[in-house]
Amino acid sequence: MAEELIPVVCPYCGVGCRLYIRVVDGYPVGIEYATDIPGISNEKGKLCPKGNAVIEYLLAKDRLKKPLKAKEQGKFVEISWSEAIKEVAERLKTYAKDDPNQLMFFGSARTFNEPNYLIQKLARMLGTNNVDHCARLCHAPTVSGLKQVFGAGAMTNTYKDIEEADVIFIIGHNYAETHPVGFRYVLKAKERGAKVIVADPRFTRTAWFADIFLQHYPGTDIALINGLIHVIIKEKLYDAKFVRERCVGFDEVVKAVEKFTPEYVEKITGVPADLIVEAARTFATAGKGVITWAMGLTQHTHGHDNVRLLGTLSAICGYQGKEGCGCAPMRGQNNVQGACDMAALPNVFPGYQAVTNPEKRKFFEEFWGVELNGEVGLTVIEAAHAIDEGKVKAYYIMGENPVISDANANHVIKALQKLEFMVVQDIVPTPTMEFADIVLPAAAMLENEGSLTNTERRVQWSFPAVKPPGEARPDWWILSEVGKAVGFDRDGSKGFRYNEAADVLREINACTPQYRGITPERLKANLAGIHWPCPSPDHPGTRFLYKDRFLTPDGKAHLAAVDYRGPVELPDEEYPFILTTMRYVGMYHTLTMTGRSEALVKRWKEPLAEIHPDDAAKLGIRTVDWIKIETRRGVYPIRAKVTRAVKKGVIAVPWHWAANVLTNDALDPVAKIPETKACACRVAKISEEEAKKLMEKLPQIIPRIEVVKG
Amino acid sequence: MARKTIFIDFSKCIECRACEVACEREHNGMSFINVFEWQEMAAMALNCRHCEAAPCVEVCPTNALYRDEDGAVILAPQRCIGCLMCGIVCPFGIPELDLINKIMGKCDLCAHRRKEGKEPACAATCPTDALIFGDFDEIQRRRREKFTEKAIEVAKKAEKISLLGV
Repeated sequence: MAEELIPVVCPYCGVGCRLYIRVVDGYPVGIEYATDIPGISNEKGKLCPKGNAVIEYLLAKDRLKKPLKAKEQGKFVEISWSEAIKEVAERLKTYAKDDPNQLMFFGSARTFNEPNYLIQKLARMLGTNNVDHCARLCHAPTVSGLKQVFGAGAMTNTYKDIEEADVIFIIGHNYAETHPVGFRYVLKAKERGAKVIVADPRFTRTAWFADIFLQHYPGTDIALINGLIHVIIKEKLYDAKFVRERCVGFDEVVKAVEKFTPEYVEKITGVPADLIVEAARTFATAGKGVITWAMGLTQHTHGHDNVRLLGTLSAICGYQGKEGCGCAPMRGQNNVQGACDMAALPNVFPGYQAVTNPEKRKFFEEFWGVELNGEVGLTVIEAAHAIDEGKVKAYYIMGENPVISDANANHVIKALQKLEFMVVQDIVPTPTMEFADIVLPAAAMLENEGSLTNTERRVQWSFPAVKPPGEARPDWWILSEVGKAVGFDRDGSKGFRYNEAADVLREINACTPQYRGITPERLKANLAGIHWPCPSPDHPGTRFLYKDRFLTPDGKAHLAAVDYRGPVELPDEEYPFILTTMRYVGMYHTLTMTGRSEALVKRWKEPLAEIHPDDAAKLGIRTVDWIKIETRRGVYPIRAKVTRAVKKGVIAVPWHWAANVLTNDALDPVAKIPETKACACRVAKISEEEAKKLMEKLPQIIPRIEVVKG
Repeated sequence: MARKTIFIDFSKCIECRACEVACEREHNGMSFINVFEWQEMAAMALNCRHCEAAPCVEVCPTNALYRDEDGAVILAPQRCIGCLMCGIVCPFGIPELDLINKIMGKCDLCAHRRKEGKEPACAATCPTDALIFGDFDEIQRRRREKFTEKAIEVAKKAEKISLLGV
């Protein structure tokens, strides 16, 4: 049997790296680097450790192979696909008949554009806008914030622009660990002479490469950015022409930042005043500047304002609409941009067309052939609270793991127990599955085909490389079967009859303005992909946005004037430390994939809580000692690592191993993102036995699903 | 012919350990490259240096260690008796004992990949080019070039400043 090389997109982070899977007869035997495809996001086919271990999780022994039905909580019997689809469709229909808003759908950034389009189509055709996905927990403020400032909630530039920049401001983003392949472009720029400014509460590996490092306290971003804007305005370093011609609201900004003198900012953030001045001067005078950010900036109750301020900072320096400039939010999943574009969001139709806009609604009513709901639906965290109130009764979860990923996990678990009906569609058992009524086995990303949109708006086609195990089926197939069984059994855009994933993409082309020219044929022929917006089949795609005008109604950038707000929960006598979360380069999100990958588990065995030497000495903690971290919401046992990487008074914990039992689910008023990056906590040394006892109470990362005989 | 080897530019290492995972995949679960962190401020990957005057090759009693046509120091497993001598004399502590097969194990610069005209996996994957596979002298020449480019750039800037000053 001959070995084949199948081009796929790496299923992990938002860089969207190309690689080949070496396949013999549908079985993966290795990978090969895509050194021969020009213009891809991972130049020369470079990959990070997760990308290198990409086939290991596919071969996990506990992959789901048959649809399951729960007999009681956590105990399942195997059923056939037809039974499973029938049961799901009937239950969905019953709830929809009663009140469609009792249903909640979870799209997923971990699967292709096509299933995300289908799940929101299913939800909306059933009459509810209750559809959301994990972008709510990562880049919701980016989508809402950038939309308000510039008119579109996406990265304004590409990796090429980061490479060509003269100054790169990285804030709340451990670039080197979270997007190692993307960090390549920062180092290339630095080698050329570009300056790198890093702002982070931890001295991260990204900070190793910083020319200027600003270590602020978690949640004080508004003060820091306002401080930078203050210096830039006071020293007249801003681009007056750009501000005059293309921005509105500058006078309000001047007023708002007036009190944020470097000395005042130093008091709030703990960053020396002269460093703030130096950073502001370096950033504003470089000529070409890029700002990148990620979770450290967005996961706050003021995440939306943080993002708007970064947009403002970039705009007043004139760093928009030209090469080597822009705002670059780094997405965490390889298709989180796509899932947002496909409108797995409660407030928009595909292509960010508001559900509240009667004109857009009319278009989709005609397109899908049903009456649509014009009310904005529930978000991920709101849905968990709506369960408490009895408003939401059924969940359809596609490829998500809210028990680990949502803030205040203990509350989520309680809420899920109350649900009447829950469907989970996933590739392996997750802690969330324990509460499911029906489990649908899905094919993993590399076993399946479809289009993916990476962080730089690049849409790429991933080909099916590996045979799915057992009866696992592609996500688009499952949703199309459910759609047909629910009763939308019509041809074309009014039903769910599809023969292949490409059919769905053709329908997306027809209703999403940004994707109009991104046809499956073009994507399959061009492995490097196309950057949206691409309005027609002969359009080459758009490298950077806003060349002549912004996408706001008046075409101008709407600058943000924001006053300081810190984290909602500040340290006090009872809980004297600030807790922040972080991640490891070799581990990924809720560990459903990397936790089943031997090469990665070997290297990143367990979480370590970072604590400053002075705090550790006071509490008698040494590296590798067991400690317990307590917040108002939960307790978490973990080993300590005494390090100067964090400031005094700050504790940093990797969140992969269920640390979200600690975090705060207070929401940003606009973006509805929970504040997982800053809350108050207390720390105490404990014995190993006590740690083990506490460990038992945590949700299991890799649970065993019990399958019993009928 | 000039000898190609792995050049380590530790100023670019981000300690992602992609090289380790790649090596492990290519060598049946054993990684022959390791990344070390220095005081949480820098990191460096280290693999076999394939020395010009390799003590391991000289000391090997069964001639299990030899140099292939590309200049890589290779272990012939069928001749190895696991006497550990190569490990003892190696100043970097590279050769490891493979207890399952009762022989030594070491970096072979991905002989199977080089045969197909590909780079060793660790250099091919390194996201930041901290590991470069190439001719050592050629790489050094490029580094010199880059340095002089930078020096000239600085000189140019300095010239401008002094002219403005006049």
